[in-house]
Amino acid sequence: MAVLELQNISKHFGAIHAVSDVTLSLEPGEVVGLMGDNGAGKSTLVKMIAGNFRPSHGTMRLEGKELVMHRPVDARQHGIEIVHQDLALCDNLTAAANVYLGRELLIGFGPFGVLDYASMYQRAAQLFKELKSETRPRDLVKQMSGGQRQAVAIARTMLSKAKIVLMDEPTAAISVRQVAEVLHLIRLLRDQGIAIVLISHRMPDVFTVADRVIVMRRGRKVADKPIADSSPEEVTGLITGAIEKV
Amino acid sequence: MFKKDLGLLILILVVGTAVAIINPRFLSPINLSNTANLIGLFGMFSIGMGFVIITGGIELSVGSIFALLGVVFIDLLVTFGWPWPLAILVIVIAGIALGWLHGILITRMHLQPFVVTLCGLLIYRGIARWYTEDGTAGFEFGITFPALEWLTTGRSFGVPHSFVVFILLAVVMGVVLHRSVFGRYLFAVGKNEEAARYSGINTSRIVIAAYVISGALCGLAAVYLAMYTRSISPASHGSFYELYAIAAAVLGGCSLRGGEGSMLGIVLGAILLQVLQNLVNLLGIPSSLNFAVMGGVILIGVLADQQFTRRRQARLGKP
Repeated sequence: MAVLELQNISKHFGAIHAVSDVTLSLEPGEVVGLMGDNGAGKSTLVKMIAGNFRPSHGTMRLEGKELVMHRPVDARQHGIEIVHQDLALCDNLTAAANVYLGRELLIGFGPFGVLDYASMYQRAAQLFKELKSETRPRDLVKQMSGGQRQAVAIARTMLSKAKIVLMDEPTAAISVRQVAEVLHLIRLLRDQGIAIVLISHRMPDVFTVADRVIVMRRGRKVADKPIADSSPEEVTGLITGAIEKV
Repeated sequence: MFKKDLGLLILILVVGTAVAIINPRFLSPINLSNTANLIGLFGMFSIGMGFVIITGGIELSVGSIFALLGVVFIDLLVTFGWPWPLAILVIVIAGIALGWLHGILITRMHLQPFVVTLCGLLIYRGIARWYTEDGTAGFEFGITFPALEWLTTGRSFGVPHSFVVFILLAVVMGVVLHRSVFGRYLFAVGKNEEAARYSGINTSRIVIAAYVISGALCGLAAVYLAMYTRSISPASHGSFYELYAIAAAVLGGCSLRGGEGSMLGIVLGAILLQVLQNLVNLLGIPSSLNFAVMGGVILIGVLADQQFTRRRQARLGKP
């Protein structure tokens, strides 16, 4: 059964139709590459799944149940995690603090709870180990390489039992070797049965790791097919409009 | 962060030792006690300033709040004859209300903290002067409040109670800053508000809370300052005091860009500032140079810190 279904989703900002009539579904343990030019509606689509925007029209279903979200926090509660483009990490905090940001572990009761540093360090270290990352939980994020920061951002999504992980350009602005690391992390998540939406401009990344590719152009879905049946040339054509639709 | 605090402690000890060698009166019990009193008075609101600065904000209206709440406090006691615990409560609540107002204007109306609190600085000072018709508010001769005086200007074994209160506040707020979820959110919001919001943190509430805490501490400090000076001329009372607080916080390692700082640093910063003031007095430096000495030391301190940080990072091989 599909973990997430979008049916005829549209989003208008006044007269601007950012997303028009998009229908798609996500299976557990599937990596879907979401591609399209700037302004094609990828980000708007993802922001609706992430609870930032409410769709103007259409319905979303999570595991068969209708999904209505008012805030980004709602998405997290439903098991939808987002890795943001700029990674949304706090440079001044440790890796563990970033992993737990917004859902810290406490010792004590209610308003008198103090941070449970030991448990958070321990669990974060465990997550980094699972990710086979050399990131140390006590290191400050500002001292980290791009790949390590990615590991922190991805570890955040593993803290709760996420069903869907949305990744916005996770391989932009990092070195070639780190890209390989990130793609490896994506596979690790997929092997845990998590559905992953990978938004990327980088054709090779999508073709390396994705099972399926969805192409958007001018707010509409113009392609949705297994990666094996497509080619970078075809996707490029779809993105630019040289190929109308498949 | 701890290294920074250690450096500051060493600086205080070096300056203290130098002054003590040149003028042994620095270590006399009465001088230490007086300096401790000033550290307590100025330290109280420096803690609140530190919280605000960690969120990436600034609170410029501190000095004017002292003038306004100070004259109201004296009026409540002298003219209206309120019992002093009630008067203190009202003043602290008034401080909280002003802090809350600043927070609301900054988060809901999206005004810049500098602008909001600069307007506060002008408005509160103006109201204080208008309220007293630019006269000096003070206690009449013969009026005493033994319990209140003991609490505010009293000393136990030579230790001023203002200093005791400051240390207690520093311990409590230190736990809040470094051990509570709220404290961690302060740092997160200060460095990367967007990331904090994406993590489900109600960033507006955190920022408002920082200004409210600062307001509450300002209210308390207003009472202590009023009892210390015993008379308030609203045109000058507390003027520039916000800069002492900002200086203490910055010396203590708070970054005006937000997201950096520690309670120990703020405490040490407040101590260093008063030791410098004392140095000017004891070494016979013309008191007109007071601000110049303070400015010079802060500048050198911040420069040195930057150089050390750069060198440390160069050693780590990271930009």
